[in-house]
Amino acid sequence: MKEVICSSPFFGITLSITAYAIGVWLNKKTGKAFFNPLLISYLIIIPLLLISNIPLEWYNEGGDIINMFLSPATAVLAISVYRQRELLKKHLLTVVMGSLAGSLCSIIVVSLMCVLFGLDDALTASLIPKSITTPMAIAVSESLGGISSITVLAVIVTGILGSIISPLLIKLFRIKNEIVQGLAIGASSHAVGTSKAIELGEIQGALSSVALVTSGVITVALSLLI
Amino acid sequence: MKILYQIAIIFSICLAGEVISVLLPFPLPSSIISMLILLIMLFAGWLKIDHIREKSDFLLSNMAFFFIPAGVGVIEHLDTIASFWLEFIIIVVVSTVAVFLVTAATVTFFLSLENRRKAE
Repeated sequence: MKEVICSSPFFGITLSITAYAIGVWLNKKTGKAFFNPLLISYLIIIPLLLISNIPLEWYNEGGDIINMFLSPATAVLAISVYRQRELLKKHLLTVVMGSLAGSLCSIIVVSLMCVLFGLDDALTASLIPKSITTPMAIAVSESLGGISSITVLAVIVTGILGSIISPLLIKLFRIKNEIVQGLAIGASSHAVGTSKAIELGEIQGALSSVALVTSGVITVALSLLI
Repeated sequence: MKILYQIAIIFSICLAGEVISVLLPFPLPSSIISMLILLIMLFAGWLKIDHIREKSDFLLSNMAFFFIPAGVGVIEHLDTIASFWLEFIIIVVVSTVAVFLVTAATVTFFLSLENRRKAE
């Protein structure tokens, strides 16, 4: 009976939606960045599968169907860039150079630290795309020979961390310009950070969503050279 | 029917992305190619946001949800995570702060360059 229920595609999908709904609810209720809906979903689903001895393959009957939407979800990011086309045209050089600097910095710092800590190639490849949005990061990680689920974890931890420390860094370094704030948040902590940037202001939110796409595309392009 | 049309538009772009990804001589992810195709179509005016509004709002506003199964896969690598969690945290913290500051510095520099050019 357990197999009938838990290996049905409906099980994985229903479990994921329920866990995510709890995460969204907790996030709204508390308003704290730590209560990230995605993080909460993992804290519900992973222990539940482990404790009730449900194999990952059963969960993935439904999980694979959700996974299929990663590609369309990445594609429609084009719309958030298109909506900011005026701002993008005005500051094209700044946006591209800022994203390029951020992407290069991320790849270099992560690679150097992985060497410093003596991590193996698979882990290094998994961590290199940690600053870009999940679907693009998975693509980079896979093409470099990384472990995509470790990449997803690194991306999410980075996003949550970014949304907590970005306002602190802005204060500490007295970054007053809204364009600088938005681009720095988008380049360092992708979509999760962008949700924080939107709270800071409309310009910050718009530029952060532009930066998350440009940094992502630039990192993908740079990863072809590695 | 409207939503079905929108799904068909977006999925056919993704399908085209997958085909092109196989044909390209270098490994560019199909999702990125699909995004570039969509961007080109929007800028060229072949597609209006209205044509895909509901479906893309659905995808954009629930973006994080679609990452759940990819992350749950970490269940098979819990030993790996446990073996390097401290290094993991240090790398994430240091690189996130570094990327933020380097981007902020670069953007500040190029904005002042833009302003100077405007002033001239």
